[in-house]
Order: sequence, then structure tokens, then C-alpha cells
Amino acid sequence: MNGESTGSVTSGHGSGGRLTQQLTRSILAHFEMAGFETPDKISKFEMEDCAFIGDDAGASDMAVTMDGFTVSPHDFPGGNIGKLAVCGVANDLAVRGVEPLYLTLSLIIEEGLDFAVLDRYMKSSAHTAREGGMRLIAGDTKVVPHGMADKIFIAACAMGKRASRQVLGTGNLREGDILILSTSPGRHGAALAAARFDLDAPGLVSDCALLWPTLKPLLRFDGLRCMRDCTRGGLGTVLCEWAEAASVGVEIAETSIPVSVETNSICDILGFDPLYLASEGCALVAVAPEQAKDCLSLLRQNPISGDAAIIGRVVPDHPRMVGMRTRIGGLRYVDMPVGEILPRIC
Amino acid sequence: MTEMSVCASPSAGIDALCRRLAEFLRRAGRPVAFMEVCGTHTVAIFRSGLRSQLPEGLRILSGPGCPVCVTDPSEIDMALSLAKRDCILLTYGDMLRVPGSSGSLLDLKGGGARVRTVTSALQSLEVARNNPTSEVVFLGVGFETTAPATAITLRQALRHGLANFSVLCLHKTVPPVMRALCSNPALKIDGFILPGNVTVITGLGDYAFLTDELHRAAAVAGFEPEEILASIVDLARQVAENDFRLSSWRLRDVPEGGNPTARRVLSEVFQPCDALWRGLGLIADSGCRMATPYERFDAAKKFGLDPPTAGPDNGCRCGEVLSGLKTPPECELYGTACTPVTPIGPCMVSGEGTCGAWYRYR
Repeated sequence: MNGESTGSVTSGHGSGGRLTQQLTRSILAHFEMAGFETPDKISKFEMEDCAFIGDDAGASDMAVTMDGFTVSPHDFPGGNIGKLAVCGVANDLAVRGVEPLYLTLSLIIEEGLDFAVLDRYMKSSAHTAREGGMRLIAGDTKVVPHGMADKIFIAACAMGKRASRQVLGTGNLREGDILILSTSPGRHGAALAAARFDLDAPGLVSDCALLWPTLKPLLRFDGLRCMRDCTRGGLGTVLCEWAEAASVGVEIAETSIPVSVETNSICDILGFDPLYLASEGCALVAVAPEQAKDCLSLLRQNPISGDAAIIGRVVPDHPRMVGMRTRIGGLRYVDMPVGEILPRIC
Repeated sequence: MTEMSVCASPSAGIDALCRRLAEFLRRAGRPVAFMEVCGTHTVAIFRSGLRSQLPEGLRILSGPGCPVCVTDPSEIDMALSLAKRDCILLTYGDMLRVPGSSGSLLDLKGGGARVRTVTSALQSLEVARNNPTSEVVFLGVGFETTAPATAITLRQALRHGLANFSVLCLHKTVPPVMRALCSNPALKIDGFILPGNVTVITGLGDYAFLTDELHRAAAVAGFEPEEILASIVDLARQVAENDFRLSSWRLRDVPEGGNPTARRVLSEVFQPCDALWRGLGLIADSGCRMATPYERFDAAKKFGLDPPTAGPDNGCRCGEVLSGLKTPPECELYGTACTPVTPIGPCMVSGEGTCGAWYRYR
């Protein structure tokens, strides 16, 4: 039913986690079979947040990423689709130590969208791009008949230059590395869930924010291994992806993850696990143990990562799997979510 | 007579509770098996890591406590046929992925059927009012925790004379299935962990038969790991001391009579009827049928749907898993043919299903 390369694409394929991984692989397989290689000269496509542009001589310092944005609702506490699009692509560069410099936007607009609404979203995009030091250098607009899109879809592309000395990536992960979470996870997903399911959640605001100002100071550490923003699929998915990509074991402590009271409340009501809720301004950072303390203090100096916390480490046990030490001292595994996260019955 | 001992604060600490549990198990002098009958308990026991803390000599089994899992495929087929008839079908999110005999509501939704998710039955009244030219059907699923909301919705639908609204009523009640399980001699269950959220509605009286009549241990627990562990400790005590008394281990009090308002509306709107449970068969008086004034809102009657019938065996051992006769890894399909990505039975699909919980948290 939801099996690989049978049936049709479901909403679950768009939810991060295991099914999205399958969808991506099924697409990339065509390119691999056609003999394409990534510029990084790795035989398989690197599953990282952005790619360095290069030729046969090796990867350059220029990096590129792109992303599509179809959020519902379009306006949410803490932002809107315009701000989200720019933060989303800029953060995919930032987590690889790349300074975001250029932006392109492609808008697919549904016939009937008020100009006032379009203006509001573009004003947010422009404001966020300016704040992040990014220049809009290309773009496109398409208008589709009423009913063919949900008000507006935005595809965005960002380019930038590597500012880190080392190339950051999951390949750098090694035993003993410390995992730091930059802020309380899942607030974007929780805010959207509250809006979608009509739950009154005062104080719950999406964490949607530019990560470059927060992460740039960390580039001074030569023990910085890799970073990832915990978007679709949440922190849990990022941890599983890292464990699998680097063939390492990961252990985290439940009590050290700074989940906010508001996010926990939404999860309690809907039966969600905060580990799988999306963030749009929260990064997981892996760093060598001897530099972890300094790295954490630097993060905490920035208001958007003032609640940064060490949440776990890379361990020799259970390779390719994520274990979580629970509040009551038990141990359980954290798996990637499958399909759309659905609210439970009672 | 049922005696209640409400624990104000099971804060003695997990380790201390585990030591007491081990002591009672030693005094019992044999391996014991307890069953929880609530999907939220299933998940809480795994998610909290409690399972990894429990001493030797104790098995915790999951019973028929996940509303998605106990829904028979033929009942899902009824819902699928409504979605195919161009009704607006409103459902709790959990039901979307559950497979019927051909596909799921999510598959139909992907193909354009008007299937929408709600978090409360009452939202369906608004949908019915806003879509006067469409038939709006609410899929009533769940135990005593969700049935009152369906009942209140039906009462309002009657008051407002909503002609385009109906309910496919698949609600089930917990005590009859527990009685049915206990009558199976193959099933060796020494005690039951009862769900706090159900007893808040029903009161404790409906479960007194477990201790008083059937001499099984029984304890109500909330969903925090400390509450669950405290209930398990008391179950072991009841077994060790051969002293079966229903107890409550919930920080928030369970009123002995339950919620009188919810009970009143349930008895006004619903009457007990036989219901089909996935893998367990037809169980007498375990379902909810709409009482006479509300029959006009019965979607099964309104659209002439075939009543649920037990279908052919597809190899899925849901019935044995739901009755505690097998653990999920003992099913031949578990982890091979049946995984969260390619689920065969709802126990693997649902967020609160036993097989899914075993697979995800291992």
C-alpha cells in the first residue's frame, strides 16, 4: 500500500522520515543510473542540506540549495510563508558553514489571491533576506487557475560561500562527539498543529528564524563536525539520519532536551511526539568533546539560542541506531517517523 | 464491594517501586502476566522506557485497547464505501491509514475523496451546516472516552434537525471485551492495568467484576510512568497476597461513579449492541447502537450499508496479539512483511498499536 515504487504518492511521502527518504531515493536513482555524480566526487548523492558546486578539480567554496514551501496555514504565530521560504533555504546553507549571499524565488500563485496578501508575504521575504544579508538575484512567477494551488507555493534557492575551514558533514562524526541542540525543538510544528486543529495555545510561537547569526560564531571550532536544522520530521529524524549516514550509535537523554511547556501541551492533546515536530530555527550541532562547553556558551550568548543544551553524544554501542535514556532511567530506541503524523483518537 | 486506595503521590521513585515489585513477584513464587487495555498505556510504557526497567518474572501484555486496532476491516470497508459515495467523511486522524479490504481512507483522500480530519465530533455539526447540499458523515470510533462526544453531537443534531448529518457508529465498550478475554482458558492473565481516562467516564464499578467475581488483580493507572509502575506494583501485591481489590493509581482522582453527565448522555443516546472486534469476533453488548429518536442519524441505515462481517484470514495475527496470546514478534509477518512502511494490520499502522509500538521502540 505504502510500499516502494508501487501505488501512488501519498501525503506521507511529504512528511519527512522514512517515506520521504524512499521518495528521494527513488528520484535520485534515475540520476545515478544515468551516470551523474555529485561534485563532491562521492559515488552516491550526499544527503546533506546543501551541495558545494564544483568540477573535476574538486569542490569549490560556493554552495547551493533549494526548497519548496507549501505551509498551511500560510500565516502562523511567528511568521508566514514568505519569511519561512527565506529562512528555510538560508538555514540549509548556514548549517554547512556557508554564509547565505544570494536568493532566487519562484512563486506559483493561485488565481484570486489578494494583492494585499501577496504583498504581505513578499514584504516578509524581503525583510528576512535583508536581515540575512541576502540579495534577490533571479525569480519567476506563474499564475494557475483557481483550485490548482493553495493560494501560493514558493520555491526558493539560496547560494553562498563557505566560511568554515573544514567541510561540515555527517561523514565527520566520530565516537565521543557531543550533540548540542540550539534551542527548544518542535515549536514550528506545534504552532502549525495548534492552528490546524483549532487549539488555543497562548504563548506558542513558531521558532522560524535565520540561523546564520547563531551558527557563524561556532565556525571557529576546529572540532565542529556537522550541523543540521531540524525541519520536517523533527529532531528525531535528524538523529536517525546522522546515525545511519555515519554508521554510528547516538545516545540522547530525554531530560536534557529543552521541550517547551507549550509544545508538550500540544503533543499531549494530539498524541504527538515532540521529537518529530518540525522546527524552522533550531539546529543540531555535533562538536568534539573538548570544545563542547565553549560551543554551548557561545550559543547561549545569542537570544535565539539562549536555551541551547547538550542533549547527547556519539557512542560505540548500537551503531546506526538512536537510543534515548528516558526521564525514569529506562532506555528506548528512537526511530524515524513513517508518514504523516496523525492526531490520535483519545 | 470495591475498595479504593488512591495514591496521592507515587513519588517513592522508580527504583524503590521496582524493588517493591521484585519483592512481590518473589512472594508470588511464579512468573506473572499483566495486561494493559489502553493504547495510550501501550505507548507510555514503551516511550518512557519503563519496559526496560521491569524486573524478571513479569510479562506486560497489550490487550484490545487501541480503538484503531480493534476496528474490523469490514467496518473500515463501510467507511470506505461512504467516502466513495461522495459524502464528506469526517474522521479522527488515526483512522486514515487503517487498511480495509481494499485500501484506506488516506488512499481515497489521495484520489480526491472528501475525507477530512477532525479532533472533536462536535466540529462535524459545523461542517454539516456549512455544506447543506452534501451528506456529512462522522466516523464514530473509540471507547467510552470518545463516545460521549459523539452522543452530545447526536443530541445537538437532533435538536437542530440536521437532515444532512449522520454518524457511522463503530464505538465499542471496554468491560464486555475484558469479560470475553477472561473467559478464554488459554489466556493466562493475572491482572489488568485499567485506563484512567476510561474510568473517569465510567467510574470504577463497571470493573469490579474483575476482582470480585473473577478474582483477577485490577488497578487503574494514569499515563505517567510512575502511575503505571505503581499500579503494576499493586497488581503484584494483589497476586502475592491473594487479595484482589480494585485500586486506583492516578494522581488525578477517579470519582467512583465516573462522570454522571457523560453516563447520562451515553445511556440516552446509545443502547448496547453486539459488536465485531478485529480478530476477536462478535462480542455481545460491546457496541453502541443509536436509541430510537437518534436512529435517523445512523449512517449504516441511511445509506443501506452491509453490516460488518468477519473477513478471511490474511495471515495477520492481530486477534492473538490483541488478546495477549502472542507478542508482536511471535507473528510471522512482524518486521518482515508487516512494518510501519508496509503495514498489514492496524496494530502496525496506528500510533497506539501494539505492533507499531514494539517495532518503533524495540
